[in-house]
Amino acid sequence: MTAPAPGTTVAPGGQPPGGGPEPGGRVLGWARRIVLSTPVLAIGGALVLTTLVMLAVGVDPSLAYPALLRGALADGNLEYTIAAFVPTLGMALAFAIPLRAGEFNLGGDGQMAIGGVTAAAIALHLPMVAGVAVVLPLAAAALAGGLVAGLSAPLRTRLGIPAIVTTLLISTPAVAFASYLVRFPLGEQGTGIAQTPPLPDATHLPALAGSSYVTIGLPLIVLLTVAWLYADSRTVLGYEIRATGQNRDFARYGGVAVNRLAAVTLAGGGAFAGLVGALIVLGPPYRYVDGALTAPGYTFTAVAAVLLATARPIAVPFAVALLTVLQVGGQGMEREAGVPSQLTQIVQGLIIVIVAVFATVRHLRARRGAGA
Amino acid sequence: MSVTATGDGSAAPAAELVGVTKRFGPVLANDGIDLAVARGEIHAVVGENGAGKSTLMSVLYGLHRPDAGHVLRDGKRIRLRSPADAIAHGLGMVHQRFRLFPELTVAENVVLGAEPVHRGAVDRAAARRAVEELGERYGLRADPAAQVGTLPVGVRQRVEILRALYRGAEVLILDEPTSVLTPGEATRLFEVLRTVTGTGASVLLVTHKLSEVLTAGDRVTVLRQGRVTGRFDTAGTTAAELVQAMIGRALGSTGPARPTTGPREEAYALEVRDLSVSDRDGVARLSGVSFGVRPGEIVGIAGVAGSGQRELIDAVTGLNVPGQHDSGQVLLGDAPVRRGRDPEVAYVPEDRHGRGTASEMSLAENLLMGDQRRPGGHAGRIGLSRAAVRARARDLVERFSISAASVDVPIGALSGGNAQKAVLARELSRRTPVIVVEEPTQGVDVGAQERIHTLLAEARDRGQAVLVQSSELSELRALSDRILVMFEGRVVAEYSGDEATESLLGQAMTGAPVKTTAGDTTGDTTGDTTGNTTVATSGDPA
Repeated sequence: MTAPAPGTTVAPGGQPPGGGPEPGGRVLGWARRIVLSTPVLAIGGALVLTTLVMLAVGVDPSLAYPALLRGALADGNLEYTIAAFVPTLGMALAFAIPLRAGEFNLGGDGQMAIGGVTAAAIALHLPMVAGVAVVLPLAAAALAGGLVAGLSAPLRTRLGIPAIVTTLLISTPAVAFASYLVRFPLGEQGTGIAQTPPLPDATHLPALAGSSYVTIGLPLIVLLTVAWLYADSRTVLGYEIRATGQNRDFARYGGVAVNRLAAVTLAGGGAFAGLVGALIVLGPPYRYVDGALTAPGYTFTAVAAVLLATARPIAVPFAVALLTVLQVGGQGMEREAGVPSQLTQIVQGLIIVIVAVFATVRHLRARRGAGA
Repeated sequence: MSVTATGDGSAAPAAELVGVTKRFGPVLANDGIDLAVARGEIHAVVGENGAGKSTLMSVLYGLHRPDAGHVLRDGKRIRLRSPADAIAHGLGMVHQRFRLFPELTVAENVVLGAEPVHRGAVDRAAARRAVEELGERYGLRADPAAQVGTLPVGVRQRVEILRALYRGAEVLILDEPTSVLTPGEATRLFEVLRTVTGTGASVLLVTHKLSEVLTAGDRVTVLRQGRVTGRFDTAGTTAAELVQAMIGRALGSTGPARPTTGPREEAYALEVRDLSVSDRDGVARLSGVSFGVRPGEIVGIAGVAGSGQRELIDAVTGLNVPGQHDSGQVLLGDAPVRRGRDPEVAYVPEDRHGRGTASEMSLAENLLMGDQRRPGGHAGRIGLSRAAVRARARDLVERFSISAASVDVPIGALSGGNAQKAVLARELSRRTPVIVVEEPTQGVDVGAQERIHTLLAEARDRGQAVLVQSSELSELRALSDRILVMFEGRVVAEYSGDEATESLLGQAMTGAPVKTTAGDTTGDTTGDTTGNTTVATSGDPA
């Protein structure tokens, strides 16, 4: 059987001479591609390295891993995992939406904190009409988060300072400002704890049936994720955003208002972060507790998940679920097997490093290939 | 080294590649290539893009290790693990993109990496002397104290050659050396190369310009799809024979003929009036440019790279309309061009990877760009029908005979010629009144070149106004009804397609005073004195 000569391309619709590969070979090929894909290798590699660390510090992996799974998925714990999944998925969108346009939003913490404090302030101080009592703080929080992230847009488009820098720099003072508001103007008087008073009942997010931690935030964020996935692949706006992220000059040349899109995606990402802040504040324990939004590290976990999904939006929710299980399970593992939960953070960190290394290697290889 | 007679067939070749095979993944870039370069000869290597020329040179320069085969130097087998090994064996390479430090002087660049040392410090005087001596010997004059960044391209290339010679190169590899030069500079380069080979050194010249091969080379090796398909002595060889070996068939003899009828109307479809544009630093990039393109006419723009072509095209396409400090007008018919990207103008950019495509997006999505908001068909007000996008792409693939496995493959996986055809398909299929094309056939093989020229001629014959910018004078002459020559941001000459000879164009491109023959352009910029002094100091009136 003659293989096509190197460099020749097959005409549209044509088959290479000699026929296609047999079905068995095709299944093997798929299996190979899945096993060798970046996410699988990253997770596998991270688990192998973590196991080595466990062995090195004298922890039995055969006890630790089941403890991790129980900690995340066992009856009573699954609720915690889902409760953590919601903000992490929201923060993943806050990072992923601008990333599709090529902008890095690392300021999720600040956008989330401002969103949360806005929701708390409105819930506490505006008279609430039943029915819209929940909607108004949520919307205001999204707007506030969007504005904070949107600050980076003119810095990026007019002054050329990368969003990855400005979002991060704006985040710290934003978190500090929220912290100040919670301690003083909005703080609960006389307790000495940095938190707001409990929010009025009308503004509490309704819990899902049979749960005390999972609220309507879950269906809301799932719905918004589906909307984003649709917009990304099936709308003109999504196409223009992707084109801008792939090649800014190309998009500009095609008549896309790239600067406006950069601003829109940054603000959109910030809106999701602000919304997450509100979902946390309007959920149990129904108040803004200083540090409670940023301490669990949703932002970082979300960034790791999006990077793990390697530019496949549909993979983002799954990557978020996986890392949330690791995160929550890690605490169970600490309780049960005495393994420090920091170990799961090591896994996460390793996943990011491995993904980054792969991306770089691939990029270099592509460049070398093009140069050949 | 004076023992061996130069060019004598009985002596061992200066450098020889034997059975070199190199594979990149599924691509067999070099397939058992034999190539011998005799002492004192200029040996040209030609082939289409992707024929394996660059890979072969990389093997010889130690950048790639061959999967099979080996390299001989003066008949002895050598191992090349890196360019450092190659340099140690007397091989030197001048890359297409120069690898010089613009902040350093000529002398510093030349001795870099092998500096003469005097009491532990770099001996600057010795470096200067070395550069002067080498320059004297090979006729490669360059001021050792000049800062490289201030020198014109032709002189920078000389510095690269000096650097290789300083390191003791006896086999010089030049990769597409004339692609950045004016015709005058190119002639000068070949004189220098003759001097170099006169001392017994050898030159390997990688190029795709057949006229150069025939005038400057001694022997030619033709590559096609990684194999040697022809070896010729340039004496007694014709360009047609070379082309046949390069593409495996003879070229169609007709080509896109210029129309005898001329433009259909007198009114301009595209008109530029007294356009002056400055860059961010306030440096003038265009000064008082005026011209027009009529429907049914191809107007060519010639000029050394950086003479204002890019700025002119950005202004004409609306990507960068004149700002507040600029003056002048760009008119499409009667209306000024729209900012951003005017839908009345089709634009095929020079840089396929930079502007023309997003290499990781699919062919279908690349073919959509620019039309995504056009009402009707694939797009609603918000939604985008993927089926319609793909159907449209399949139609374009068929009509423009683009070879691709499917419309869903990333456009980066297509060959250069097919990617360029895709860009042309996207732009030409819009049937806009005005078409602007930069470097229509850059990086495209000879077969596809023919097809692309035909497409542009067809657009012209349909009554579209076509503006073509190209660094290939032969291409401009074959395509254009009129040719404008730019120099330092001005249109300095205009010729009709019939009277524009390469020497006339080449002369005008260097800013030398020329007689403008066609009537349309204002002629008062031709004798521009600043232009002439710049050229005089830069050193090489051909």
